[in-house]
Amino acid sequence: MKKKLKFNACVGGILTGGMLLFILTGIFFLPYDPDAMNAELRFAGMSLAHPLGCDNYGRDILTRMLVGSRTTLLVALGTIVVGGGVGTLVGALTGYFGGWLDEVMMRVIDALFAFPSILLALVVVSLLGAGKYNVILALGIAFIPSFARVVRSQYLKLKEMDYVKNARIIGCGHFRIIFVHILPNTLSVLVPTLMIGFNNAVLAEAGMSYLGIGVQPPDASLGRMLSEAQTYLFAHPLQAISPGFAIVLLVLGFSLLADAMEEKGCRC
Amino acid sequence: MKYVGRKILTMLFTLLLVSFLVFLCFTVIPGDPAIARLGTDATPEAIEMLREEMGLNRPFLVRYADWLLSFARGNFGDSYSYSMSVADLLLDKVPITLAMSLMSIAMIVVISIPLGLYTARHEGSVIDKLIYALNQVIMAVPPFFSGILITLLFGIFLKLFTPGGYVSYTTDVTGFLGYLFFPSIAIALPKIAMTVKLLRSELIEEKKQDYARTAYSRGNHTGGVLYKHVLKNAMLPIITFLGMAFTDMIAGSIVVEQVFSIPGIGRILLTSISRRDYPVVMAVVVCLAAVVIVVNGVIDIIYQWIDPRIRLEGEKS
Repeated sequence: MKKKLKFNACVGGILTGGMLLFILTGIFFLPYDPDAMNAELRFAGMSLAHPLGCDNYGRDILTRMLVGSRTTLLVALGTIVVGGGVGTLVGALTGYFGGWLDEVMMRVIDALFAFPSILLALVVVSLLGAGKYNVILALGIAFIPSFARVVRSQYLKLKEMDYVKNARIIGCGHFRIIFVHILPNTLSVLVPTLMIGFNNAVLAEAGMSYLGIGVQPPDASLGRMLSEAQTYLFAHPLQAISPGFAIVLLVLGFSLLADAMEEKGCRC
Repeated sequence: MKYVGRKILTMLFTLLLVSFLVFLCFTVIPGDPAIARLGTDATPEAIEMLREEMGLNRPFLVRYADWLLSFARGNFGDSYSYSMSVADLLLDKVPITLAMSLMSIAMIVVISIPLGLYTARHEGSVIDKLIYALNQVIMAVPPFFSGILITLLFGIFLKLFTPGGYVSYTTDVTGFLGYLFFPSIAIALPKIAMTVKLLRSELIEEKKQDYARTAYSRGNHTGGVLYKHVLKNAMLPIITFLGMAFTDMIAGSIVVEQVFSIPGIGRILLTSISRRDYPVVMAVVVCLAAVVIVVNGVIDIIYQWIDPRIRLEGEKS
């Protein structure tokens, strides 16, 4: 069991590190202009100048992947900050204080939970319009319920612990107990949840951009590249496969890391 | 019975809340439906008349109650862009999405239970490790990408189906199901991987319990104990998981319908969003949410029927 755990963490770490390095490279160095079209290079195959070839507009696919995965990372991180932040806050307050606030919030969370997250995001986008920041907001709202539930159940359990009662006796305020005493103890559950949430955000963003209601051009996005490439799937499968694999590698790395962490958290 | 009654009441309340949230969202958005219908160069009098006719000038809660009552009667209003009633528009799309979801659920149950049993029984073997690795990879592939890969492999290289060649169920039922088979795989794949993983860990956990040891010590066969005693207990969390997975599968089918160009509920939802055809969007969203709520509620009820401890605990508190 221990060996497999290490193997998980290793492969996950390498994949995640590789993808992060790939995205970081894209921030500082782009081999070509991601939007420069070139009719001569239309559907160019693999070559030294264009390692993954060119797409239907003659744009370099590798360059577009560098830019697209950066957008994907930005949206996923933004989603985690919005959804995880608000969700944790709601879960912590309702779980700790309980009472009528808890009842009301949980009913609202239940109602939100009835929407598949992509459907909820679709509703928000249909109200606000598409675009990078609206997608962050939409997915963020869609992800609040899952975080709130996990954090709430932790607070319900932890607020009965002796150290919380001790802190009360010493005279700590409620907010100090919530954020300084209890919050660090939820991390073993919160961090894997955040990582799984990150993965779901990557997948949801890619799905929405694929449907054309996520990130809008000229912003490149992995999901959008896939939907553009699908038209030419028959003749040029590579154009679809490369951005798809970038998504898979990013998600796989994170899920292996989350798995390794969860197993570690279970043991102690 | 008390439990079931309370469960149904909670479900109804959640449904009410969902419909209220949706109605609120689509009312506060900027943009006047009357102007949208008449165009921006209509005279203010004409707009005012249409507003009166559409009932837009009444108080918010009155409009909500009105909408809810007609919704409950199956009257979803009229579509802005198709000039037909929303109910008619959606009715012939429902079987398509339904058939796809049912096929995926069937695949999940048929494939993941034997695999889960096998991996739990041969824990630590090479095949177990291989399946673990495969599960992790499959979970990372979004349904639309696996849809594209399936199109590439089965549609273009092996020519088992024609990509984009959707057959309507009114003309040819076998062709219809045959075409939906591949999108269903794309929807089911990640869920199969998750179910196998969950079932394996549940089975291994249950296998260590005292009752399993007792069953072994009385001379029962390893497989027999696993199938007759352990599987029953390990299935409980799986049923809950499948209920939650159902939610994701509805979402997945919206995307996968687009990959395989299937004119189902997802397609109509997307075109309605881009055309700002809000009655259709509202109807689809509320109906899908209702399906999810009802499915999860029914699963909760089944669950307490299988495991009476949950009911007793609920009545105590």
